[in-house]
Amino acid sequence: MSSLPVTSGLHFSLLTPPSARFGPRLGTVVFKRPGCTTDQPFVTIPTPGLLTATSRGVVPHLSRDHHRKTQAIKWVHIPFETFLEHNPPVPTLQTGKTPLHTFLGFNPGQHLLSMSARDLYDGREMPPNGKDHVSVYSLRGVRKLSPAQWRSYVYSVKPDIVMALSDTPFTDPPYSQKRLTKSIERSFAWLLNVLCSLSEPEKSTLLKEEPHYKPTVLVHMSGMTSIPARRAFADSLLEPLFGPEAEQVKHIKYLDEGVSGYSFDLVPLRLSLDAAEKKSIDAMSPPSSLPSPAETPDPTTTALDVEASLSQLNLDSTIPPHIEQILPLLKTSLERLPTTKPRIVNSTQTPHETLRLISSVGIDLFDAHWAQRASDIGVSLDFVFPAPQGEGRKDLGHNLYHDKYTYDFSPLASSFRGAIDTEFTKPICQCLACSPSVPPTRLYHGVDEESYSGEPVMPLSSTPRYKPSFTRAYLHHLLHTHEMSAHSLLVMHNISILDAFFSSIRKLLSEKPESWDAEVKRFIEAYDEDMVVLDEARVSWKEVELARGKGRLAREKAKQDEGTLGTAVELE
Amino acid sequence: MQFEVIAKCHTTKARVSRMTLAHGVTMLPTFMPVATQAAIKGLTPEQVESLGVTLILNNTYHLNLRPGLKVLNEAGGAHKFQGWHRNLLTDSGGFQLVSLSKFTTITEEGALFASPFTGEPTMLTPEESISIQHTIGADIIMQLDDVVSSLTTGPRVGEAMERSVRWLDRCITQHERSGKKDTQNLFAIVQGGLDPELRDRCLEEMIKRRDGVAGYAIGGLSGGEEKDTFWRVIKQCTDKLPEERPRYSMGIGFAEDLVVCVALGVDMADCVFPTRTARFGVALTHKGPLNLKLSKHSKDLRPIDESCPCPTCTDGTSRAILHHNVTHETAAAHAITLHNIVFQAQVMGRGRAAIVEGAFPDYLRTFFANYFGDVGYPEWCVNALRSVGVDLLENTDAKIIPGSGAKWEYSNAAGN
Ligand SMILES: [Zn+2]
Ligand SMILES: [Zn+2]
Repeated sequence: MSSLPVTSGLHFSLLTPPSARFGPRLGTVVFKRPGCTTDQPFVTIPTPGLLTATSRGVVPHLSRDHHRKTQAIKWVHIPFETFLEHNPPVPTLQTGKTPLHTFLGFNPGQHLLSMSARDLYDGREMPPNGKDHVSVYSLRGVRKLSPAQWRSYVYSVKPDIVMALSDTPFTDPPYSQKRLTKSIERSFAWLLNVLCSLSEPEKSTLLKEEPHYKPTVLVHMSGMTSIPARRAFADSLLEPLFGPEAEQVKHIKYLDEGVSGYSFDLVPLRLSLDAAEKKSIDAMSPPSSLPSPAETPDPTTTALDVEASLSQLNLDSTIPPHIEQILPLLKTSLERLPTTKPRIVNSTQTPHETLRLISSVGIDLFDAHWAQRASDIGVSLDFVFPAPQGEGRKDLGHNLYHDKYTYDFSPLASSFRGAIDTEFTKPICQCLACSPSVPPTRLYHGVDEESYSGEPVMPLSSTPRYKPSFTRAYLHHLLHTHEMSAHSLLVMHNISILDAFFSSIRKLLSEKPESWDAEVKRFIEAYDEDMVVLDEARVSWKEVELARGKGRLAREKAKQDEGTLGTAVELE
Repeated sequence: MQFEVIAKCHTTKARVSRMTLAHGVTMLPTFMPVATQAAIKGLTPEQVESLGVTLILNNTYHLNLRPGLKVLNEAGGAHKFQGWHRNLLTDSGGFQLVSLSKFTTITEEGALFASPFTGEPTMLTPEESISIQHTIGADIIMQLDDVVSSLTTGPRVGEAMERSVRWLDRCITQHERSGKKDTQNLFAIVQGGLDPELRDRCLEEMIKRRDGVAGYAIGGLSGGEEKDTFWRVIKQCTDKLPEERPRYSMGIGFAEDLVVCVALGVDMADCVFPTRTARFGVALTHKGPLNLKLSKHSKDLRPIDESCPCPTCTDGTSRAILHHNVTHETAAAHAITLHNIVFQAQVMGRGRAAIVEGAFPDYLRTFFANYFGDVGYPEWCVNALRSVGVDLLENTDAKIIPGSGAKWEYSNAAGN
């Protein structure tokens, strides 16, 4: 274990010094806030590990008690763009030492919040970014976000970690050399901007309640799919600053000094690689599998036709992974940067990719978006690492819409058990679907206390009184009757299964690192990487939606479809 | 069932009782949240239990279609199937049959309808309704009644009432011979539309059968009738129904309806309104409903109700973040649903406490002053409460709103 850090911010320590720049590594992220006391413990996240995705500031489908009771949820990532629907963005009105935590109901002692301007999973075509703005998306249309605004929002809402603005194009890929040069220059300038110290007047307004606040900054590694551009951007972080740039950030000599970790978003890379591939195959045919808005946006407008673009949007379409092409791109970015900082990848699509990224690059943190998305479409994940011995090719989970689960009263995953079950050979899934427990307290509303009811007073017990797991048959029923509770339970389960996957990865890396390569290979062969189960579930989900759509208020339904990554709020 | 009245209001007909069923004690009067398809919208049973809810409702019609009796049987009943360890009530399925299926015809034998699966003519008899409810396993089950809309007039109303009495006999017989009487309790449903004479005849017949029933529901209301008629029918029933049986007013959920019904002697009520309206962004408060979709809430950092003990309010969830997410994210619906269930429970819980303390008339006055102070009191509430000795207008200059009362922000978004 690393010793407790004294300065505030993110501290990353590698437990096993990596023998090479690339390759699997074990580490710990410890986050300390200013004035952190024993009441507010450090948030500690062992790596490789996961971060939880949010939509409009919430973990989709989870009430606040549920996100707190899901142990796997520690690092939560917040795309800020939906809050730009109002000016000023409403979270900036929240006061206190940790306004973003307060506004969104995350617990400073438990949750690490990172914040980016854009939703990292949104690959929609967007109007181009400008010299001094990023095009961001809100329900009220496309907005322009300037680096200065971003900096002021960051200091207002005080996330633990912020992703510097990055000029990642979401116009028609692939991109010219000229466009990429512009992209890395802007990304550099915008990183510099967020690292600038606050002026005295800024300090007095933005840091009134927390004078010691300083964001921990992550940089998105720019350069898209061009090796030279990626190298150039990475190198620029190490170049000594001089002149007016150096004046702006006196506390550091080069930008990397101000950076706490490196982040990689796979969606734009995949889109770009895919477009390039399609162009080379058939120069005449337009890229077809890409999500795209109804019409080419006019760069001068600030508001797209939201309804039109969203109705075209298919967040489900899987972009071909192109992972083998992505690995060298990521390595290029990292080849000269310090190895001591955490490396984060967003928008992986499979655990197979995760293993490859750990194996060949040495990525430390991965978002859980794909697993959360699986919950939206009725899939309960069920996989372990290392893969079980001697079984045929397995699915990563169950499409609980399928009729074979009608009478299946087993818990959501065969590889795990609920806390009350006695199949001791299996690990426990601690999620509230597999291991629900009697609430330790309840509310009373008047003349319903035990003194009136005569019921036994609930003993104050520190150990939970577990109940039987929710069954596949119940979830099957809830999915077919369009009950939202299905998704709440599945989200908690799927994030927990993914967390268990990471903890098994860490266990193997610390106990039997020599078997890593063989186990990765075995896992990749044992589990279906095409994730046919997700495709099947997506079809079932749509069928149930359609069947219900007939009798529903079509307009309400359409309105909902716009805003939500998860399934819509039931409005019958 | 054990049913004991433990306190009575000195002025109104309100009472507090302890109802002991196979899955614990429920203190009455109580409001029952509706879990139509074996789930309270978006919540887990553990969450519902933590809110202090001890009795929920499942709909027989829906559960019979999905998951179906075979599944429920293999699961060991609806309690186990949905992980709910407290008390459960099922309706007979008749009401939904009539309101959701176009082709239902009522014969003496039962309700004839087109099977939603095969389209084949299918018969739901009183005996079958009871045995379906036996399989579901709820602590309280309802007789199959011949349901007519409360707006129906003419001989059909009388026919339906008479038939409901005959069907009650068949339900009692079926229930008696099932061997489930120890764990499940049959309620009769008083019919008779809005006609006082028919209601009286029904009451008379059904009260004769009191040994075969554990409680009485008041049916055939909440179908769009005038509120002033509604309360008179309720009062007529509660005046006659035996003291030692719980009384259940079906389909009642607005706060003012609840407190008036309690004053008239009702013990139980259910409605989808508080959970449904939550999904439309309406939070219920003691000062009237808040429609969180309105942009006036977009920058409001206060919780729905600072003094509310629900998880949403105690956590400080702001109106602003709810406004941001409502109808976009299910999580916002969950947050408001948690709150609304607690609100309903509070309305009833404060009522119980007031009855025990001998202060129920004061509670009524305070409730109306808070809830309707700004907009005016519904005239029918004033009339109804006068009939049980409480003058809401005493020492107040509150306005009176004729008809059904104030139109809240929710009215067009989510009327029941
Ligand atoms: Zn689980
Ligand atoms: Zn509340």
